[in-house]
Order: sequence, then C-alpha cells, then structure tokens
Amino acid sequence: MAKITIDGKTVEVKDGLTILQAAQEIGIDIPHFCYHPALSIAGNCRMCLVEVEKMPKLAIACATRVIDGMVVYTQSEKVKKARQAVLEFILINHPLDCPICDEAGECKLQNYTYIYGPGHSRFEEEKAHKPKRVPLGPNIVLDVERCIMCSRCVRFFDEIVKDPQLTFTQRGDRVVLTTFPGKRVDNPYSMNIIDICPVGALTSKDFRFKERTWNMTAVESVCPGCARGCNVYLWVRNNQILRITPRVNLEVNRYWMCDYGRFTYKPVNSDDRIKNPMIKVNGELVETDWEIAVETAASILKSVKPDEVAVLGSAYATNEDNYLLQKFAKSVLKTKYVDFLRHVKDGDEDNFLIRADKTPNSYGAYLVGVRSNNGFGFNEIVEGLRTKKFKVVYVMDDDIVLNDEIYSLLDEVKVIVHATNKNKTVEKADVVFASASFAEKEGTFTNFEGRVQKINIAVLPKDYEPWMLYKPRKFGEVKPNTGEINKANLALSRLFKFGTQFDRWASGERRNVKPSWWVIMQVANKLGAKFTYASSSDVFKEISETIREFKGLSYDLIGDEGAMINKN
Amino acid sequence: MTQTKIDGRAKTREIKRKANLNLLERLYLPEIFKGLSITFRQIFKPKFTFEYPDVKWQPPASFRGRPVLVVDDETGVERCVACGLCARVCPALAIEVVADETELDKERYPKKFEINMLRCIYCGLCEEVCPEEAIVMSKEYELVFTSREEAIFGKDKLLTPASKLKDRLEFLRKMR
Amino acid sequence: MESILIAILKAIIFILLFLTFSAVLTYVERRISAFIQDRLGPNRVGPFGLFQPIADVVKIIFKEEIIPANADRTLHTLAPIISLFVAYSVFAVLPIGEKLVIDGKEIKLVLADVNVGFLYILALSSLGVYGVTLSGWSSNNKYSLLGALRASAQMISYELSLGLSLVGVVLVSGSIQIDEIIRSQANVWNIFYQPVGFIIFLVSVFAETNRLPFDLPEAEPELVAGYHTEYSGMKFGAFYLAEYTNIITASLLVTAFFLGGWYFPFVDIYSGLNPNLSAILQVIVFFGKASLIIFLFMLVRWTLPRFRYDQLMRLGWQVLLPLALLNVLVTGLVKILL
Ligand code: SF4
Ligand code: SF4
Ligand code: SF4
Ligand code: SF4
Ligand code: FES
Repeated sequence: MAKITIDGKTVEVKDGLTILQAAQEIGIDIPHFCYHPALSIAGNCRMCLVEVEKMPKLAIACATRVIDGMVVYTQSEKVKKARQAVLEFILINHPLDCPICDEAGECKLQNYTYIYGPGHSRFEEEKAHKPKRVPLGPNIVLDVERCIMCSRCVRFFDEIVKDPQLTFTQRGDRVVLTTFPGKRVDNPYSMNIIDICPVGALTSKDFRFKERTWNMTAVESVCPGCARGCNVYLWVRNNQILRITPRVNLEVNRYWMCDYGRFTYKPVNSDDRIKNPMIKVNGELVETDWEIAVETAASILKSVKPDEVAVLGSAYATNEDNYLLQKFAKSVLKTKYVDFLRHVKDGDEDNFLIRADKTPNSYGAYLVGVRSNNGFGFNEIVEGLRTKKFKVVYVMDDDIVLNDEIYSLLDEVKVIVHATNKNKTVEKADVVFASASFAEKEGTFTNFEGRVQKINIAVLPKDYEPWMLYKPRKFGEVKPNTGEINKANLALSRLFKFGTQFDRWASGERRNVKPSWWVIMQVANKLGAKFTYASSSDVFKEISETIREFKGLSYDLIGDEGAMINKN
Repeated sequence: MTQTKIDGRAKTREIKRKANLNLLERLYLPEIFKGLSITFRQIFKPKFTFEYPDVKWQPPASFRGRPVLVVDDETGVERCVACGLCARVCPALAIEVVADETELDKERYPKKFEINMLRCIYCGLCEEVCPEEAIVMSKEYELVFTSREEAIFGKDKLLTPASKLKDRLEFLRKMR
Repeated sequence: MESILIAILKAIIFILLFLTFSAVLTYVERRISAFIQDRLGPNRVGPFGLFQPIADVVKIIFKEEIIPANADRTLHTLAPIISLFVAYSVFAVLPIGEKLVIDGKEIKLVLADVNVGFLYILALSSLGVYGVTLSGWSSNNKYSLLGALRASAQMISYELSLGLSLVGVVLVSGSIQIDEIIRSQANVWNIFYQPVGFIIFLVSVFAETNRLPFDLPEAEPELVAGYHTEYSGMKFGAFYLAEYTNIITASLLVTAFFLGGWYFPFVDIYSGLNPNLSAILQVIVFFGKASLIIFLFMLVRWTLPRFRYDQLMRLGWQVLLPLALLNVLVTGLVKILL
C-alpha cells in the first residue's frame, strides 16, 4: 500500500498503480488520450501531465507509478499551462472538421479543448494535409488528418486481438497511420478501434454521417448476436436504431464487441418486418388486429387434444417469453412436445468473445423449462409431423424450416407463429403474431456462462410513448473534468423528448408489435387460463420463485451489469 | 427639476405637480382644447401607411425574414455541410437535417434539410451558429400555407443563390 | 287611418335614416382615427373604402353566434334588444325640422309630437342602463359583470347632472316641449345663456354614451370588452349600433337644447321661404350641426385617455352635480330678478 496525496486528498492505494489510476479511484479524472485501461501504456500524447512534488519536471500520470508519500497536483497553474500547450500543439495540424466529423459530441479532443484549451489559436500557417476518406477495410474509413497519433488502434490489434493490422509510417508532422502494404483491416473485432479512437480519425462506414451523436438516444441493451451477450448501447433516432456500440462490462465483454454484433440491428429496421398480426384468409396472409388474431389462434387450439400440438420456444426470445410458453404448453395445451432449436455454427468461435452458439438465450430457454423430456424433442416433433401425429405446431420467435422436407410437412398442420421478420415458417402460418424484436421489448437473456442480463425498449412499439420508457433519465453531460461523455446518462435525446406527431423527425414508424409473453397470455386466457402478468417483470418474478437457478434474482439486482444464476 | 434629453442637450423645465397648477389649468378645459387641437392638426399630416399588397416594404439588411440555405455562386451547390448545429441550437426545434456523404470536398451534405415554418420563431440563432455561413435570414416575410405539411419547407424552397442574399451576407460580415 | 299610415311611413324613414347614419359613422370614425394616427384607415372596399360599412354588416350578420354554456339564454338575447330599442325610441319625440306641406296637408317632422318630450327623453335614456346591466349579468362572466356594474353606477351618477343641466335650459326657454325649446332659440342660442349648463350637459352626455374618456364599462385593458365580452355576431352588432345611435341622439340633443336646433344665430333665414324648402334646409342645418358635435365626440376619443374609476365618480358627484345645482339656482334667480 502506498499513501499519496492528490489535490490535497490523502489516500492509501495499492502499490503498482499509476497516478492516473489512483486518481480515478478517488474520483479525480486526469485528461488523457493515449491511455486506455485495457491497453499497454504508451505515454505519447502528454495530455496527462501532472505536477509531482520533488520531481524536477511535470510527469505523465499514465506512466508514473505511485510511491509512498507522493504529493500530486492536477490543477496547478503549471499543469494548466502544460495542458494548454499540449492541446495547442495537437491542434496545430488538426483540421477544423468538427462540423463534418462523426466524433463531434463524444470527441475527447473537442471536449478537452473546450475544458482545458487556450481558447484561441496562434497558428497562421497552412495545416499539414494528409489523405482523407481512406477506406481501411470493409467497415472502416480513416481520416489521417484527424489522427493524433495516440496509437490506441495500433495497440488494440497488437495486444487485444494479437493480429497487427495497423502501423505508423513517416515522422513528425508527416506521420501517417496505415495498413501494411496490400493488407486490409478485416479482423472480426476491427470496429472496436472506432470506439477507442479518442478523435474522429476512424469512422464506421455503416454509421458514417448518419446522425450527430447528441441527436440519438442511447439505450442499454444486450447484443443478440451470440451466446456471449456483450453489453451494448442501442443508438436510436426517430425510432430507428442507427448504430450499436459496446458498453463496458468487465465480467462479460470488457470494452469490446465483435463487428458482427454491430450489425444485429439491421433486421430490426429491415423492410421484411412483420408490422401487424396476420391471419390466413383464403390461403393469403392478411393483416388484422390483435383481438382477431388471438381469437383465431385460440379457436385453432381449442379443437386439439393434448399431444396433438407441438410447441417450439426460441433461443432468440427472452427468459420471460420462454418461461410463459412452456407453462402454457404444459398447463394449458397439456402437451409433452416442447423444445427449441439450437443455432450452433461449429468452428465459428474464438477464445475472445465470439461463441459458436449464435443465439443469445439458449441457456436461458433451457433453464426455464423449454427442453425435450426424453423423446419429445425437436427430432421427435419432425418425426411426428411425418406420421401426421400433430394437428397444430406453435412456434415462437424462430424459423423451424431447416430443410425442404419440413417446409412441405408444415402444409399438413395448422401453424401458429410469433415472428419479427418474414421467414419460411411464416409463409406456412395460419396465424402470425407480430413479435417485438429485442430492441422493442423488456426482458432478460441468460448468456452461456449463466449471467442473466437485461434488455430494454429502445425502439417504441405502437402503444408506447417516450415517457413510458423503463426509467427516467437525464440528458447526458460531460463528467466533470473528463472528456468522457457519460453515455448511460446520454439517453433520451432532446428530439426524442419534445417531438410531436406533426414533426417528421419524431414520426418514425411505430410497429404494432407485442412481446411474446403478452401474446401467449392472451391466447392462454382465451383458452381458460388465468394469467395476470402486467409486465415482463411480473413474469420474471414468477421465474425467480419457481425455477431453482433463478432464485433470488430480480430486475433490480440484475441492473445494468447482469447477475449470475445459482449453479449449485 | 432638470432633465437631460437623449440627444445630450440639457433642458431645464418645471414639472407641474398638482399642487402648483394655476386656476386656468385646474379647470382642465383649456388644456383639453389644446389637446384636441393637436389631434385635429394631426389629421392633415402625411401618412406612413404602406398599401401592403400593392406596395411592398423592402426590409433593411438587418431584417430577419425566413431562414434560407445559401447556394454558392461558383460551385452551384449549397454551402451547408449538414453539421446539424443549427438544428441543435434552434430553440423551437424547427430544423431537421439528415446528412449523407458526397464526392465533393466538403464530404458531407444535407440529404434532407427541412425547416418547419410553424415552429420557427425567426430568432436567427441558426444563422449565428452556422460554421459555414450556409443558413441566413432572408428578407422574405410573406409566408402562406394552408396545411401543416405545406409549412415544412424542404430544400426545394430553402435553397437560394448567394447573389440574391448579398445584402445579408455583407451585413453579417460587417457585424462579425 | 291616413294618419297612422303616415306615422308608420315616417317611422320607417326615420329608422332607415338613423341606421344609415350610424353605419356611415362607423366608417367615418375609423377613417378619422386613422388620420389622427397618421394611418389611412379602411380604403379598400369601394371608392375610398366607402362600402366598408356594408361589408362589415354582411360579415357581422354571417358570424357565428355564441352563447356561453352557463349564460342565461333569455336575458342574454334580450339585453342587446333592450339597448337598441331604447336607443331608437328616443328619436320618437325628436323634431328634426318644422313641417312639410304636401297636398295641403301638414306633416310635422317629428314622430310623436308629445308635449313632455323632454321628460320622455330623460326617462328613456335611463332605461338604457338595463340593457347593459342585463347583458353583463346574464353572460355569467366576471368581466362582463364588472363592466355592467360600472356602467350602471356611472350612468346613474351622470344622469343627475344631465337632468339638472337641462333645468336651466327649460327655465330659459320656458317650455319642456322640444320644438318649443328650439323655436325659443331662433335669435339667441341657449349656449350663450347657459354656457355652464352646456359644458355639464356635454360631459354628462359623454359619460352616458360610455364614450372615451368615460368608457370604463368596456375598458379593454382591464375588462376584455366589458359587458359585451360574451357577445358575438349580430348581437354584438346590436350593441355597436346602439352605441352609435346614442352618439347621434346625444349630438342631436346637444344641438337642439343648446345650439339652436335648425337656426343660425342672430338671423332668421326661414321666414318667408316656401315651407317645404325651409323644412329641407332645416333638416340639413340641424344634422350639419349635430355632425360637428359627433366629430367632437371622435376627436375627444382619440385625444383624451380614460379616467380612473375614482376620478370618474369624483367628477360626477363632487364637481358636476354641485355645479349643475348652482347653475339652476343662478338661472332661477336671474329669471326672477329680471
Ligand atoms: S476529431 Fe474531434 S476535434 Fe477533431 S474534427 Fe472531429 S470532433 Fe473535431
Ligand atoms: S487513428 Fe485514432 S486511435 Fe489510431 S492513432 Fe490515430 S487517433 Fe489514435
Ligand atoms: S449549421 Fe450550417 S452547415 Fe450546419 S447543418 Fe445548419 S446550415 Fe448546414
Ligand atoms: S430562426 Fe431560430 S427558430 Fe427559426 S429555424 Fe433558425 S434557429 Fe430555429
Ligand atoms: S495518457 Fe499519458 S501520455 Fe497519453
């Protein structure tokens, strides 16, 4: 332990910490560009200079380890001068690009210049010109002029994914960030460098110029791309997700997420969404309202005997949806045939984040009771279809048409399906419930390790208004002293809050979709059950009371970070 | 009591309080007649009215009419880079900008630029914040629409060549 | 039979005459007020905007009539009728000339030649307060009610001085029949005998007609529109019409009582003329003088600011009333002594 004094506050910190880390522990943030908690220390930006007693010159806080009895000043006149000088120096060749720069609003350089900068420029000469709009690979565009040579991106490839793809060439003000000759940046985790780049030098091809950061609402969620369940923010404007960025969770994904996960919003926005419930009339699916769709489904199910119906849950659906589905199957439909499909892509797995299981909640679906009991699983269901054992197949949030045989077998039975997007199963359906996607509902996913994590409403369904969102939040502000925007508080953008139905920027499409647990409850109640859940948290409460692994869990406990199930 | 006139010339004048009115003044009537004669004379003075639809008022450069987008004379494209600062500063949330990429040097251009003239309060903050001098207040004050939809002006109505906005652009440079 | 027919005809002509006159007045007032404020005023409908009153009438007739949900519907409708009725009834005894002779028949230029015309006018003008009070009360609106209360208090206060100032005229003229009073001024107008009475009468008449500077019952800054806040359409038009009709009546009365009616001062131009010609001349002169008074009404409106309520009451009770009493006393004394 070392006893040090920072800005008059005396604390004991662990040996081996740097001044910057020690300061962060007591809530003092020292501005920095090149330091990143997950990367090695480069010490090249000099933004973190602080004054240390008995040291002849200012020291960089990111690389200086604490020593017992150290006295540090982060706000002294000398330090302020140094910061101004560093910023002025960086800005000498930094273009005046903020108006067209995607980083603006969450840019460290912009924020630090605003907070610590000299406020004017003495530079009159022509700035150095370097390549702009350099495509670095399929997903990234580089603007060399904006790069401040902090080398975070270089270190990310070297250290985190161990796949060096970027480097600097030349020196001084001619230095250029570039790929190795003839190579592209195509690592499956490459887009993380966009997030860690403290400026707007690296931009996402997909998101480029889509929207200014402050116009979007950031909602905490969980990536549905694989069983890892990386924590993410969904960035929404006008009821459309525009990008997904990782949310720090040291237990799950740390600071990162994979490139594939960043595109999992596409199906939510896509044109093949099912926007209203549908029923089959004369062989054609026609849109209808919920009342009629539920009624139709109930009348189909009423006529079948137990075990004449096969029920399929989903590893894409939440714990709540799956729990209620199996309860419905077992207590109302009284069928033994309950299972869900696994979507495992063998080999597509690494020891970093990506999992072969491409669904977010297969473990959860299994735990809450959607599982085959000796000989009543998916294979037996297909077999049953062949032997015409079933009258009805009830599918929730999945596409069970794995091959042409199943496709034609479905002609023989009535099919009730919950679906977010059009798929092969929907083509065969008699009733289609328009299902809320992961961005349109509340619920929990259980990742492959057994961590229960919460997803939230980011895209509003038809019957939701902004003020009904799960918790009231403040418009984001810069954390005092730092260049970091507190994204958790950046939520509800101004546009989101004050739009009216007459503003085109606030009249983005609201789909008439419902979470699956709600739909199941309606159908079950039509069939005589008495389900009375008002929200997904009611369902989760019942899960925590009845399923051993979920004992003691609640939405409050899960919070933003998630919570582990009881494994013993 | 001494009063200083606005133009700086000092002028001394007794202010009459109720206590020191003389009899004639207390009768009020003479003063009333004085007033009546002033208004009467006013009848024959020249009039200031513009007979509006026939005669139109030409506003000075400082006038804040409806905001328009400046089209550069040389390049023929709008100066706007769709930075969205005008939309951010607009106190009435009147502006919506949707950006897209362009091959031009400016990289970014407004794919969609809409001002809801029902929301706009003609404050001119958008003009003031614009880093590109791309949105300025025109002299146009005749705005008529018959539906909410019509009141949302898109790029077709907003784009205006810089040559037509000379007055205002010069004024802005002068005031900078 | 014939006389009834003539009376009806006369009534219709009178009403039409006054309707047109008050319509024209609205136009004139707007123009004059515009000129005083260096504006142009209505000049679009017809030449010089002369048809503006017609457009206004058409507009006001087609406007939606709104009766507030909690208003007393009967009284709400009755009030403007009372106001208008009273305003028009006053004309009945007002002679506007001597007589026409058609076919050897004499037609007096007065609707009802009663010998107590003077009292009739005083009586009716105090009825006018009912219209105002009822409208304010029935609207069930605090502004309307306040306006109505002010109006009734104001009218009652000023009626006293109004009546008393006329006593002087009656004493001088020796009659309470209006045409007699006018005829008695053939040589010298009453204003020269009764200057104080004239001023008191003029001020009281301003107050009675609720015109600036005494328009407290409808003081816009405080009471929205006073007693007719809740009126719209033709009912509002009725109040408007009543106001202008009252102005015309008041001006005619001022002319009749103090400014010699249809006579020029000190000369008699009518004797020896053809009675018909002289009647027409008389009407023109009478209305000409009244028009000047109306102009004064308008000039005052755009010159003097509104009184405060306490000032209004003080003027009425502490200045005008004692002055009027004194005037009666002095006139009486002089009458007796001479
Ligand atoms: S990187 Fe930051 S400072 Fe540089 S242009 Fe972009 S927003 Fe502005
Ligand atoms: S591109 Fe960004 S992260 Fe990479 S060196 Fe430049 S500033 Fe740093
Ligand atoms: S501030 Fe100027 S450049 Fe930016 S979006 Fe508005 S008009 Fe365009
Ligand atoms: S003038 Fe003001 S209100 Fe109108 S668009 Fe510009 S900033 Fe918005
Ligand atoms: S953060 Fe310390 S030198 Fe860059």
